Amino acid sequence: MSFTTLPPAAPDTKPDPISQSSSRPVRNLWATWRSWSNRIFALREDQLFLFLAVLIGIFSGLAVVCFRMAIEWVHLVSLGSSMFPPVPRVLIVPTAGGLVVALMVIYVFPGARGSGVNQTKAAVYVSNGYIPFNAVVGKFLICALGIGTGQSLGPEDPSLQIGAGIASLMGRRLNLSQEKVRLIAPVGAAAGLAAAFNAPISSVIFVIEEVIGTWSAGVLGAIVLAAVSAVVTMRSFMGPESLFRVPPFRIASAGELLAYVVLGIIGGGASLLFLKWLAYARPRIQKWPSWTQYFQPAAAGLMIGFIGIRLPQVMGAGYSAIDQALHGQFSWKLLLVLAALKIFATGLSFLSGVPGGMFAPALFIGAMLGGAVGSIEHHFFPSLTGTVGTYALVGMGVFFAGFLRTPITSVFMVIEVSGSYTAILPIMVANLVAYLISRTYQKVPLFDLLARQDGMILPSIEEQREQVPLTVEVAMKTDGAVVALPDELARDLARRAEAKKDAPILVRTNPGQWLLLDREEIRQLAADGAMNTKAVEAKPKGPLPVLFRDQSLEDALHAVGDWPAVPVVSRADLSKFEGIVTLADILRAFRNASLE
Amino acid sequence: MASSTSIPSDASSRKKYSREIVLLTTLLLLLLSVVFTAFAARMYHKKYHVLADEWFARGEQDFHSGNARAALGDYRNALLYSPGNTNFQFHLAQALAGTGRDDEARAYLTILLSDSPGSGQINLELARIAGHAGPKAMPEALRYYHAAIYGVWDTDPIAMRWRIRKEFCEYLLNNDAMNQAEAEIIALADNTSGEDIPGQKIAGNLLLRARMWSRALQEFQTLLSHDPRDPDVLAGVATAAFELGQYSKADECLNRLPREKLSAPDLARMREVSKAIVSLNPFAPGLSTDQKAKRTATAMALAQARATACERQSDGAPSGSHPTSGLESALARSKQNEGDWTERNLRRHPERVEKAMPSVFEMEDAAAERCGEPQGADYALWLISRSRGGNTR
Repeated sequence: MSFTTLPPAAPDTKPDPISQSSSRPVRNLWATWRSWSNRIFALREDQLFLFLAVLIGIFSGLAVVCFRMAIEWVHLVSLGSSMFPPVPRVLIVPTAGGLVVALMVIYVFPGARGSGVNQTKAAVYVSNGYIPFNAVVGKFLICALGIGTGQSLGPEDPSLQIGAGIASLMGRRLNLSQEKVRLIAPVGAAAGLAAAFNAPISSVIFVIEEVIGTWSAGVLGAIVLAAVSAVVTMRSFMGPESLFRVPPFRIASAGELLAYVVLGIIGGGASLLFLKWLAYARPRIQKWPSWTQYFQPAAAGLMIGFIGIRLPQVMGAGYSAIDQALHGQFSWKLLLVLAALKIFATGLSFLSGVPGGMFAPALFIGAMLGGAVGSIEHHFFPSLTGTVGTYALVGMGVFFAGFLRTPITSVFMVIEVSGSYTAILPIMVANLVAYLISRTYQKVPLFDLLARQDGMILPSIEEQREQVPLTVEVAMKTDGAVVALPDELARDLARRAEAKKDAPILVRTNPGQWLLLDREEIRQLAADGAMNTKAVEAKPKGPLPVLFRDQSLEDALHAVGDWPAVPVVSRADLSKFEGIVTLADILRAFRNASLE
Repeated sequence: MASSTSIPSDASSRKKYSREIVLLTTLLLLLLSVVFTAFAARMYHKKYHVLADEWFARGEQDFHSGNARAALGDYRNALLYSPGNTNFQFHLAQALAGTGRDDEARAYLTILLSDSPGSGQINLELARIAGHAGPKAMPEALRYYHAAIYGVWDTDPIAMRWRIRKEFCEYLLNNDAMNQAEAEIIALADNTSGEDIPGQKIAGNLLLRARMWSRALQEFQTLLSHDPRDPDVLAGVATAAFELGQYSKADECLNRLPREKLSAPDLARMREVSKAIVSLNPFAPGLSTDQKAKRTATAMALAQARATACERQSDGAPSGSHPTSGLESALARSKQNEGDWTERNLRRHPERVEKAMPSVFEMEDAAAERCGEPQGADYALWLISRSRGGNTR
């Protein structure tokens, strides 16, 4: 990794434009600014990157605050302040909103399509971190209009893209290196998501799991800084409360976890159903005549409006309905109906091309499903101590894990949005069950699937999880070298080397320091030298790099370099020889692995 | 998608400014953004505040006009705009409880309680909800009622605690939890100010309901000294005195009651019985020997008649169902001594009253055991018999 370093601030030889004509205070101010700016701009690029992460976090936090307010404002203006708006409004507003959204997406902001996650991921891997600012503005306006008028989507994924877009713009404007511009988009993404969910930990994990697609320490610090700055900013304007308030509860016995396993199975099945539907319907809808794109969001809006006449909870992100489910406010029948209709409504909105996120709908469906399963289980097993709200909470994580296939994020997400740690065990168990079910029956996760349908193959952490890493152990030979001590006689060593014709000769000097001896020189030394000539006198090369048997073969490739062989030693005792690795061994191991 | 990921051709050709200028501009932009967001957020919160208050006011109006269902929707709308408002949550919980949705109300209240475990109001609501759940939730109700009594009350805590304790006592009495009720009623009476006449009356009535007659009598007698003509107090004294066997006192108080008060069936019956007891009781203080003899003879005649009637009534019952040792033997003994217990002989030998009356009581008790609770004058005799046994509660 190379960093372009700014040249040190040169003494100011140019005539100062201010000093010539201004008074003393102005001159002092200018001098102070120069001094500070010299200090700031003399930062190395990686230091500047961290400073930028904080700025990006604050900007993203502000943008998300405005985004949330814009959604609410649109909702208030269009649907009114009551939970149950009048029927004509419920039908007209989402339909008209859908029509406007379609026109804006087609004519003004074509870059605002999609949820925002894949667009950010594509920016990282396809266009070197470039996200047009037009897409950010479009995402902001269109999503505010779509979600505000009742489309069944959430503001989190768009927030993620808004953050990434802001970061990308700043990186470009500050002339960061190409590598840094590519890395800065996920930093903004984490900030945007953290501000949207008021959840810094899960947003960091999500960005690493889903956007970057690999656990890379290089950018982790900046991501964390940005997420924290964004959350602090968001909280300063919107308050410190977590997204949902959960009634207190307890898990009385380990046996109760079985009830949550059942929830995991049902939630996993439901998320799979939703995934399969989207996977099936999206390419087919995309093949419809292009003129239908003008009306698809409006048609989706109308259908959602029909649902909203009786069940307005389904419209929009649905946070208040989640809160009600967490407080056990719905009967199990209503919970089931809400879950089913939300799947339907979210599918309609998403498939019709309305830009918007899937996080909030996933949490909504999970909460309703969880609440319903909890109510039914309580009916048959009244001794269960978990409240319906507990099941709704766990259900949120279950559906999130099964649908978005981010198991670690899902656990932290539920804990952070609820501010409750009590349900950690049920959440972990149920999420894992749902995740396994979803992964077994739907090989490609949602975001990868959408990317593939759009003609892109983006890296996925799930694929990496599937791959078994090749280690040095696979390639090393345990008896492929002749190991000598420094005081061993050249004559004896030459005799031993004769027994292993092609094996490299290694000599261990200080503990952990290994040298390579030339076979021909040893032979010469043994033939010409005196009786007491020692092996180390044969001009050894080194010290050699060492490897450990658990290191990856990629590491081994780096270590071998131009050396004919590299020793593999024990981590506990660097002088303990365990084997040897050559370039040929490494290549053979790779070849064998690909054949398998 | 393609448009979002492709790099425009002019991206690299755009004029590049120095980092210094860009960063300075960024910081200025940040400042402007903060100011703008702060302004917008202020407007947003203000609007939400107004909406929340408006919906809450509507909810209050609906709730107080008895329309809890409409209030529910209003409170929910209010919470939409102020989700963390504990006051709104509390009122929503109250409305939920008011519409019989106790589980949902409990969920809200439990959260509120976790935030302020000492709140008297929240504990009281939870206690009421537990009270609706029947006897199985009584331990929970007791816990919440106690927490409410000893909890924090913002306005007039003493009066609030007194009111809750009264409600708690009523809950306990309604659920036949007499032991707990006694302690709470005594505490209520002790915590009632001497100047609080209505409060003392309530405490006295609760003491009556808990069958704590002596304490009730004491309470009402104190009240009587304040207002000797208060019909509620007179009724209370009468009831307590009647139950304690102080029939003359009961009769005296009942006689002082206004006619409309006596129209209550309980009091009317009590008056009738106490009057009968006062006129029949040969042990009443201040009676002359003649009066005692006359009353004893009357009582004997009444008891014998009742015993005979009961014996005849039960003749139809299957043989062997009533042992001869009870009613028959009591009647036989009284007949045996009939000559000694005539009015004239009792007048001559007043000490015989002490022997005659137990026979009367024996007959009345045996008849009550076999034929059920007596009526009229027999009931009066039966009560005299019981009061002679003693009732000091």
